[in-house]
Amino acid sequence: MKRMVNRWLVCLLTASGLFTASTSLFTASGLFFALAPLPAAAHGERATEPYIRTRTVHWYDVTWTSDAIGVNDTVTVEGKFRLFSDWPDAASRPELVFLSNGSPGAVMTRVESYISDIPAQQSAKGLKIGKDYSFKLIMKGRVPGKWHLHPVLNVHGAGAIVGPGAWIEVTGNQSDFTQPVTTMTGVKIDDIQTYGVARAQMWHFGYFLLGLFWLLWWLRRPLIIPRWLVTLKGREDLLITKADDKMAAAVLVTVLLVVIIGYKQTVKEFPYVVPLQAGFVKIPEPPSVPEAATIDVKSAVYDVPGRSLRMDVVITNTTDRPLRVGEFMTAQLRFINKDLKAAVDSIDPSFPKDLLAGAGLKVSSDSPIAPGESRSMSLDATDAAWEVERLVSFLSNVDSRVGGLVFFYDDQGKRHMSEIAGAVLPVFTQIQKAASQQATGT
Amino acid sequence: MNKNDALILQSAELSPQAAQWSRTFDYLIIVVGAFLVWSVTYISQLLLAGDWDFFIDWKDRQYWVLITPTVTMMMAAGFQAIFWKLFRLPIGATASLLLFLVGVWIVRYHSWYGMAYFPLSLVIPGTCLMSAIALDAILVLSRSWLITGMMGGVLYGLLFYPSNWVAIAGYFQPVEYMGTMTSVADLIGYVFPRSGTPEYIRIIERGTLRTFADHAIWVSAFFSGFLCVFSYYIFWFIGSFACNPKFFAVGSRFKSAYGSKPATAGEVA
Repeated sequence: MKRMVNRWLVCLLTASGLFTASTSLFTASGLFFALAPLPAAAHGERATEPYIRTRTVHWYDVTWTSDAIGVNDTVTVEGKFRLFSDWPDAASRPELVFLSNGSPGAVMTRVESYISDIPAQQSAKGLKIGKDYSFKLIMKGRVPGKWHLHPVLNVHGAGAIVGPGAWIEVTGNQSDFTQPVTTMTGVKIDDIQTYGVARAQMWHFGYFLLGLFWLLWWLRRPLIIPRWLVTLKGREDLLITKADDKMAAAVLVTVLLVVIIGYKQTVKEFPYVVPLQAGFVKIPEPPSVPEAATIDVKSAVYDVPGRSLRMDVVITNTTDRPLRVGEFMTAQLRFINKDLKAAVDSIDPSFPKDLLAGAGLKVSSDSPIAPGESRSMSLDATDAAWEVERLVSFLSNVDSRVGGLVFFYDDQGKRHMSEIAGAVLPVFTQIQKAASQQATGT
Repeated sequence: MNKNDALILQSAELSPQAAQWSRTFDYLIIVVGAFLVWSVTYISQLLLAGDWDFFIDWKDRQYWVLITPTVTMMMAAGFQAIFWKLFRLPIGATASLLLFLVGVWIVRYHSWYGMAYFPLSLVIPGTCLMSAIALDAILVLSRSWLITGMMGGVLYGLLFYPSNWVAIAGYFQPVEYMGTMTSVADLIGYVFPRSGTPEYIRIIERGTLRTFADHAIWVSAFFSGFLCVFSYYIFWFIGSFACNPKFFAVGSRFKSAYGSKPATAGEVA
């Protein structure tokens, strides 16, 4: 019995040893990666749930002025976004937003940003659901490399809603980057990325030296075991001497003098300072643009193995021109009706190719819809991009609906826009087929 | 070794050889202890003060001045209690904040600058080191945690702002940018984008602490000193509790697995 218990104990201890060893190895490898600075490449553009990406902010007409810039050169990202009417309840409404950019760290700097041509240096309020807003981001190359650049609308309570991203190659030398600025009091700052760093380090180093002196004053003597034993004996008089009292008083006075004199000098040096600015900009409500057509979603299914979204809809043309369906767009994915030239021509050359569905949009009844006509048709958006863009996790979403924008073109080539939204049903075709075969005994 | 050191060793009843070994032990424990103090201080600061001390455009007149000293005081007081009660070493607060300052600069260079390309001007850290040195000095002069908490606590909070202002005042000069007046700190925060940190997430300049004319900073600094007193006492007691070693008795079966002889142990018992 005793031997058995010992065996079990030895096994247990061996297992503990192995666990400890593997944990140490894991920690050591973690430490290695932590100590070697590895730059970030991804920035989680596909991490947000599909129901947010397909039904909150729809970015369209997004262009990039260049895909290659030098350090200190600028690239402008601009376009429009629609705050979707079928905004999910699970995401906070866009009452407070901030226009930003998605890129791995500060590889590019933000020169200017605008929402509806209003400077968006600070957060913005006043945006309304169902409205369209223009935006513009001017970015400057800083770190050489190939970087993915997205517009991002941060919505308070809902998180970052990322727009389409394009690869921008920054060439040159990072050390050439500068960001000069002149203060309102006439002080010229050569480069804000290095401004004030040496000053802060000088003060911190001075504080460090004083702290180090204080530590060494005590650490130079017999320490842990002797002091512990002497403390137990109650001989505090040996451990804190009169010399220590004098040193403590001197150090305290030094601290006070350094801080008070330093502060007074600094106040003289910078007589005009302002607090951090905590305001926000108010974006005026844009005029309403009437929907080109009303779209009634009768059913929408996502064929999981086929990677295909099929929507049966009834479209009513509310314009005075005949319309054809040109494009379905959701979560930056664009499904173009390739049989319609105006739709194909609408693709800007700078738009990322990976967000253009190869098979495009299949429209069951592609003839023009006459003004006032209501027509039933099916829209078929099939592409592996549904998987690649992680847009198919309908089963794990709290809100199994899908939404997007449908672009129509009239007989004069003019573009019109409507929203489409409805419940989506995931269909596991192969499973259903097998179940059906089993039921019929075939 | 001076006369007082010799008296300490004599009082501790350590032989010369034991004293020598104890000094070796000192060196080892300084290294191990430094890492412990460093990491615990760093983690607590990271969890409780977080963004206020990461970024220059979070260092506002109200919450930064209020939160940073209150949080750093926790570990400063805890370690001060441990070092003082066990060894009568008045270095806990200084060690905590000095090591934190070293650590925070390493992380600023390595992670923020090296991995995420943020300029150092965006991530200038604050420091409570001068406050901590004063706290330790007051403990020596008073020999009392009660007085240290009352006087040192208030001083700790009060010293934080002026001892940091000397380093960061330049960032609060006004600049005109895109038609609005802003500070250099705001501008740095705007120019160098943080994708996951939108501007509205900043908790700055809110509340009613500015009611004393326009002197929001000193109202915050005094209130910070007030909070630091409580922070000090709470964490002094936690540190004191940590000084009392507790252990569980283990049975003979466990001992035998490590090679001891339970029978002999039983006889001795």
